[in-house]
Amino acid sequence: MTPTLLAQIWFAIICLEAALYVVLDGGNLGIGMLSLVPQPEHERETIMRAFGPMWDANETWLLIAAATTYGAFPMVYSIALNALYIPAFVFGVGLVLRVASYEFYCSSGQRLWRFLFGVASLLAVVGQGFLLGGFISGISIANGHFAGGPLDWATPVTALFTLGIVFGYLVLGYTRLINFASYELSPNALLQLSSATVIAACALIAGALLLPHANYLYFDRWTVLPSAYILYVIAACIAIVCAAFAYNVLTKTHVRELYYLSMAIFALGFVGMIVGVYPYILPPNVTIFEAASSPATQVFMLWGIGPILPIVLVYNYYIRRIFRQDGPEY
Amino acid sequence: MSPLILSRIQFGDTAAFHILWPVMSIGIALYMVVMESMWLYTKEESYYRQLRFWTKIFVLTFAIGTASGLPLSLEFGTNWSQFAQAAGDFMGNILGFETTIAFALESAFLAILIFGWKRVHPLMHLFSTFMVFIGASISAFWIMVANSWMQVPEGITVQNGLIVVTNYSQAIFNPDSVVSFMHMMGACVESSLFLIGGIAAWQLLTTEAGPVRDFFRQTLVYCLAIALFVAPLQVVIGDMSGLVVAQYQPEKLAALELQWDTNAPGEGAAWDVVAWPNSTNNGNAFAVSIPNGLSLLTTHSMEGTVQGLNDFQASDRPSEMEAVITFYGFRLMMVIGFLLVALALWSIVLWWKGGLSSERIARHRAWLRCWVASIPLGFIATEAGWMVREIGRQPWTVYHLMRTADSVSIGLTSYEVGTTTLVVTAAYLVFAGVFIYLSYRIVRSGPDLVSPLP
Repeated sequence: MTPTLLAQIWFAIICLEAALYVVLDGGNLGIGMLSLVPQPEHERETIMRAFGPMWDANETWLLIAAATTYGAFPMVYSIALNALYIPAFVFGVGLVLRVASYEFYCSSGQRLWRFLFGVASLLAVVGQGFLLGGFISGISIANGHFAGGPLDWATPVTALFTLGIVFGYLVLGYTRLINFASYELSPNALLQLSSATVIAACALIAGALLLPHANYLYFDRWTVLPSAYILYVIAACIAIVCAAFAYNVLTKTHVRELYYLSMAIFALGFVGMIVGVYPYILPPNVTIFEAASSPATQVFMLWGIGPILPIVLVYNYYIRRIFRQDGPEY
Repeated sequence: MSPLILSRIQFGDTAAFHILWPVMSIGIALYMVVMESMWLYTKEESYYRQLRFWTKIFVLTFAIGTASGLPLSLEFGTNWSQFAQAAGDFMGNILGFETTIAFALESAFLAILIFGWKRVHPLMHLFSTFMVFIGASISAFWIMVANSWMQVPEGITVQNGLIVVTNYSQAIFNPDSVVSFMHMMGACVESSLFLIGGIAAWQLLTTEAGPVRDFFRQTLVYCLAIALFVAPLQVVIGDMSGLVVAQYQPEKLAALELQWDTNAPGEGAAWDVVAWPNSTNNGNAFAVSIPNGLSLLTTHSMEGTVQGLNDFQASDRPSEMEAVITFYGFRLMMVIGFLLVALALWSIVLWWKGGLSSERIARHRAWLRCWVASIPLGFIATEAGWMVREIGRQPWTVYHLMRTADSVSIGLTSYEVGTTTLVVTAAYLVFAGVFIYLSYRIVRSGPDLVSPLP
């Protein structure tokens, strides 16, 4: 295999892992944040029970994505985390607190841990928004090392993306809750859902429109063929799914299936982002070919890790089948 | 303080805290695998009760282990970006293996282990418990591979400032990796057994005669049966591990023995029981020594040559302060290793005399107190051993290839690193406190001996 093809294969694998993470764990993060919203006690319990056995396996996709990024593109891992020190820290604290507080809650049943679990979910999502915003806006690099300041990531684009992601995950979480058989739909649930969706959409669209200003690469992407065409098609698809989503919400039909529609919107947005940056992996400076580790390493990883990924996937499905919808009994 | 020093404190701090939990997870998981196998094999209810009870504590250790390990992998990028980049060809790959193969395995099977009691076949459940243990052990294997390669980097070449792997089997099975992995696994099992046994001994001291006391008597006896093999074995593996250091890291050996001058041919090097460097840092101000001891320990011959610190440039070997820490860390680990062997032997003598029967076991109060006192010992030894290993490697991150000072991230401010260190440390202290509180509650409320079997 040529080094070019290897880098492309690994880029595709990592994108897939990250997409799986966003789609699978996004709902959990959203539900976690929802637990902070005032609501009756029994609904909070439904929320906590909803995580049950799956969320650990879901979060694994994030760790796999991060670790394979380091293996296949060491330059990305080191430069991006160096540059995005504070976002990475916020994200890390969120994840750490989330794991620990969930387990402490299960063991002790104390409300403090349930509250901290919600806070941790929020922190993790905000951290993701910061990371994504900083990463997309561009990192200044000189001589193969980070060459900027500690607050370079704090831009309007980052703020808008973070807002969009927080509300986007809330939508994912809310629709997932509705998806559970035992969840009772409160009268104003759909109203809340629609407003969260509108906020998320506005913030993400505004962020995307500001992008060419932050990073000239995107201006090319939006005007030069063929990437422009692909992006237009993806945007049209997103618009169609959004319309279906809005129709179902307004007519209150198929509400339990809204979860799949919102996952589709996230997945399409993710694809759009990849088309928008490829072949850059640290836009607008470093391509996947420049950041790749040695071909020997990428081949070794492909043989070692490649076969495991489908197994993990099948396994995730198996667990999901054993524990179906509503979460376990202890 | 500089970002470099603060980053070292942060990594040391987070790593020292993190290592406690995998040690418990792996050790307790092994205990669980043994209990579940025995239960399915003998159909004896008591094994099932043991399994269910210790699973509660296992779950806590596993969660804190996962949580506290996350910042470590982030820190490679955030605080040690130059190292992450230069050594990424190997380190990234190996950490990728660790996460994908091992971590994915254990966290996935954990779901069945915890929630699957009524949903899967008992053999599938045993298999899940086993896979959680195997997953955690493979995880430890890859972490030890990564770390041992930093100690003895083989199978690589340097191109344009990047370390590139030329031979994976040499890099993975470097002279240090297998023996270090075994030493670490020994530490996991031994520390956990004395933790479990110690908790049981504490309950034997404080509970009335009855089914609960019998439960903890069984725990202690099972632990003892495994500890008998593990404790002496760990001393032997430790010695093997020392031989690797002597051969491949003579600077580290000289530092952890505070050996300043190379012994002359025909004369053995003495082993210092206690020592302290002099003010000019080229010899010891005082030392209490056993003649020929060091030669015997590290070369297994009376007059083997042991290089001294003065043979190396001061900038290429651990500093005096670092040497003192490794010197006493090593001795602490060794003393604990022998103390635990002694306690295991004492226990076997009691067992032999029939002193561990349910009527008589609670009468041996001094012996039970020793078990209680041994609860933290394995963990202290593990920490001390890691300090010897990591501080003794200084001033290098990758031995003789990359210096710690050249590994740190670019453009960090002390303010950033200081803040993150404080937050993470505070969070970890809270986790430790909550863990102790919750496990205290679990142990105090005792095992569930009545619920129906699955």
